[in-house]
Parts: sequence; structure tokens; C-alpha cells
Amino acid sequence: MHGHLVKERKELDLRALENMAVKKTLWQDVLARFLKNKSGIAGFVIVVIMILLILFAPLLTRFDYDAQSFPDRFLYPSSLHPFGTDNFGRDLFTRMLYGGRISFMIAIIATFISAVIGTIFGSAAGYFGGVVDTIISRFLDIMMAIPGLLLAIAISAVLGPGPINTAFALSIGGIAMSARIIRATVMAIKTNEYIEAAKATGSRNFRIIRKHILPNTIAPLIVNSTMSIGGSIMGIAGLSFIGLGVKPPTPEWGSILNVGRDYIRDFWPMTVFPALFIMLTIFGFNLLGDALRDALDPRLKD
Amino acid sequence: MNLLEIKGLTIHYAMRANTVHAVNNVSLVIEPGQTLGLVGETGAGKTTTARGIMRLIQTPPGKIVSGEILFEGVDLLKISSAEMRSIRGKSISMIFQDPMSALNPILTVGEQIAEVIHLHEKCSKREAEERSREMLEMVGIRPERAGEYPHQFSGGMKQRVVIAIALACSPKLLIADEPTTALDVTIQAQVLDMMRELKDKLNTSMLLITHDLGVVAETCDAVAIMYAGEIVEYGSLERLFHNPKHPYTLGLFGSIPSLDKDTDRLNPIRGLMPDPSALPKGCKFRERCDYACDECRKEEQSLREIEPGHTVRCMRVAGGVLNG
Repeated sequence: MHGHLVKERKELDLRALENMAVKKTLWQDVLARFLKNKSGIAGFVIVVIMILLILFAPLLTRFDYDAQSFPDRFLYPSSLHPFGTDNFGRDLFTRMLYGGRISFMIAIIATFISAVIGTIFGSAAGYFGGVVDTIISRFLDIMMAIPGLLLAIAISAVLGPGPINTAFALSIGGIAMSARIIRATVMAIKTNEYIEAAKATGSRNFRIIRKHILPNTIAPLIVNSTMSIGGSIMGIAGLSFIGLGVKPPTPEWGSILNVGRDYIRDFWPMTVFPALFIMLTIFGFNLLGDALRDALDPRLKD
Repeated sequence: MNLLEIKGLTIHYAMRANTVHAVNNVSLVIEPGQTLGLVGETGAGKTTTARGIMRLIQTPPGKIVSGEILFEGVDLLKISSAEMRSIRGKSISMIFQDPMSALNPILTVGEQIAEVIHLHEKCSKREAEERSREMLEMVGIRPERAGEYPHQFSGGMKQRVVIAIALACSPKLLIADEPTTALDVTIQAQVLDMMRELKDKLNTSMLLITHDLGVVAETCDAVAIMYAGEIVEYGSLERLFHNPKHPYTLGLFGSIPSLDKDTDRLNPIRGLMPDPSALPKGCKFRERCDYACDECRKEEQSLREIEPGHTVRCMRVAGGVLNG
């Protein structure tokens, strides 16, 4: 009997070893699924190129983003100025790269803030349910009822322009969305028996949320954050366009677009390039977010 | 002193339209080192009783209406939730039915065992990890596998890990809620053998919830048969198995197919358990009972002792009308 048991154990161990060889880790699975998605790779490439461009801006251009040169105003693209120059004779390519830095930074900060606050509210609502859930959810409903950009405009108008204020203004609108996603995920995870098992071992609620629930919400959080960065970049451009986001002379895609609007009939590069960059970036983030969702949660597909 | 003594435990679930009477006036006793089998069909209130002991009833809608749960003389229903947390996992631990979902998929099994130890014993992370390896070895898994994730284990192996978590702090009472139901039969025997062995080694008492009388016969010292939230027959293993009295218990034994006789059909108890939100007056088993009379309808049945340490909730048995 005992020998039989030992043999069986060995067989089980062997089987598990084989599984390991085939299964690899969760993240390798995700990567494999992601690599099959062509539009996802396209999105990833676009985003990576954008990030590289803005990261290595000082190496890619010889000009300063605020160096004015009156004789060089409104130059069309050439080998010296790949995107041409603006109304003050500043190199547009340089301004696009440095403008991207601001946009990305604000977008990432805004998304981070809304993800953190959203996670706190969402997990509390989802885990405790009842009155806590009712209060938080109704509050989120109210926030969802206000259009995101309108809310950001209102907050920016009160706080005044500036990168930090813009990040804050944009993050408030994002809280409701991320809180809702976390809430739904937590509610689903909460029903698993291992949560009850964790309670039966005497864990505190906070510990259960931190150790057993939140790590399971990472996938939807990554997906939502990716999409939200794209959305925030559009939001920043929108705010700057109406003069509430980043103030000139700090370059920003939206504000470049806004100035270029005055010359749209006579000089196209000042509107076309910023618009193209905004569009491409958001397109890239959306493709990437979609692909990540499919890769991280294969059940959502088909 | 008894390790666990439940007196008149009543648990209701207050739903919007009605109240589910899940557990009604249940009294049980577990002595140190003893194993009590709690037997009954699905919905009889076995799991609710177990959760009640752990104070893991979801409130609302669940509510412990009345009763006492004395664990080493202390009423668990009266202590603070912080005190209760220090008992859960340490003095009383629980094994759940489905090992597939009782382990967190994103933590290694070693981490999950170490977590309980770290939570209850004042020891460093290192020590906890060291002891989690020992626990793995104790349940027959190579300690090198502590760094693997639940999906890399088979069902039986997972249940071993769950048992290792439950026994990690050498609890005084182990509540096992159908620990072998989700496993296939050959693994069931292995897991049960192992549980019995470890229980004796650690001198742990056990409340074993099951609907398998064969498992009870092999594992338990005493048996309580539960029906519609009530205990209908309660006694030591020998008394109850050699001399079952309650018509429901008789029905349960009668529905087990015999190895000697060649029958085409199983012999179930006719009818269904009453709706726990609308329990009938009088005997709850009346509708399905072959021996029911008018008196059964009128009179609320009480547990009566028919021989020392053997009680039955049936007036017909107690009155001597019915005899096996």
C-alpha cells in the first residue's frame, strides 16, 4: 500500500513537471497571446516610437524649443527643419518632441493618480458591499454623469493653467472609471473560495484585500490605464487648445495646434503635424490597450 | 471538559420575501481528540452550522439568532471580532469542499502555508517559510515544490496543500466541510487516511461534514444526522450504525446499494426536503416518512434518549411503536 502511494506521488510529480514545461508562467502565456495580435504590435510600435522620440529629443534635434529666429518664420519642411518652423521661427520638430514630453508626463501622472484613488474606492466598495458600496457607487454615478472634459475644464479654470494642475484636473475625471472597473473585478474575485479560506485562517480584511484581491485586479487595471493614458493626452491637448492646460512658451501639442489655427489657410504644417501626433499617439495607445485586454483576459475575446 | 459544545444554535437567513430557517436549535458536543460526523443531504444546514462555529456567516442576510458555541468554555458568539480572528486558523481551522478554488492562483503554495504561520505564530518570515516546507513534507509533498503555483498540482495534491494550511498551527479543532467530495474515489481514501493520521498525531478534534456514510464509518467516533436544519439522530458511531432508529437514518442506510444483492435500481427516500423558508409544523420529515401518523403532524418533535448516549427526534420511536 505504502509503496503504491509513493509510486503514485512520483507519477503526480512527473505530471506536474511536464505541465511546467508546457505551461511556463502566466506572463509568458500573455506575451505569446499578445504577439499573435498584429494590430496590438502596431500599437506597441507606435507608442514605443513616440516614447523614444520624446525621450531622446535632445539628441534628435540641434535646435532649442524656444529659440526664436525672425527671418526663419513659416518655413516649410526641409532637411534642416523636417516639420518647418512656426510663427516665431522656432523649429516645429523640436517643439513637437519637447511638447510630447509634457503631454506624456502629465498623462502618466493623471492616470496614476486616478488609478490609485480609483483602486482604493473601488476595492472598498466591491469588498465590503452594502452601505459602503451604495455610498461610493452613487458618488461615482454622480461623477460619471459629468462629461470628463467638462469637469477637467471646470477644475482647470479654478486652479489655473500649469502642468500639475492639468494632471490633477484630468485625474479626477478618471477616478470614476477605474473605481468602477476595480469594483466589478473585486466583486468577482470575492466570491472565490480562497477568499473565504483566507478569512478562515484569521486574516484581517485589509490583509485579504492587499494580499489576495488586489494582485488579481492588476490585469484590468493595466488595460484601463493604457487606454486612459491615450485619453489623457487628448484631454491635455484639448485643455491647452483652449488655453487652460500648458501655457506658452512651453510647447504642447494642443497649444501648438491652437496657435497654428490662426494660420491654417496659409501655413499647413503648424496644424497638420500636431494633429497627426495627437491622433497617432491615441491610436497607438488604444490599439495597445485592446490587445492587452485580449492577451490578459482571453475569456473576454470572441 | 468538552472541547466544543454547541447549545441550541439557530441560524436564519433573512431574505427579502421570507426567512430561511437554515439551522434550528442544534446542540452538539465534541470531546478532545474526538471526530464527530455531521451527515445530511444538501441543504440540511451542515455547512451553515460549520460557518456558524467559525463566525463566517455572511451578515446580512445570515444571522445567528440564538444559541451558544462554547469552545474550551468560552462562548465564541460573545467575543470580539479581533479575538475571533486570533482563533480562526490557530485554534479552529477549516478545510473547504473544493480544493480547486480554495487556493489563491497567484500565490505559491509555500507562501499560502507560510501566511497562516506568520499570522498566528510570532516568528520571522524565514521561519514561517521553513515551517511551511515541513508542513508540505508532512502531507506528502516534496518540500522543493513550495515555490510552485496551485495550477501545477492535481486535485488531490491541492487538497493536501489545503490540509497543510489548516493544520499549520496545530489547531485543536478541525472543521472539514466535505473534504473529499470534489476528489475521485481513489484519492478520497488517500486523503482521508492522511487526515486521520495527522489528526491523531496532532491530537486534533474534528468535525467532519459529509453525506457519505462510508466515510463516517471509517473516520468518526460519533455521528449526528441532520435534516432540515435539525439534528434527528445523534449518538456514538457503534450505537447509531448498529441500531439506527430514526426513519430518515433508516432511509439513508436503505439507499446505499448492497454489494451482495443484485438490484437494478437504487432505493432512494421518496420526496424532497421541505422548503427551509416554509418548514411544516410538527415533524419535518413527516411528508416522506412511512410511519407518520396524525400525531406527528400536531406535535413538535423533541430529541429523546432511547439508550444512553443515543438520542432520536421521533415520537414513534420513543413511544416504542416503531422499532427499526
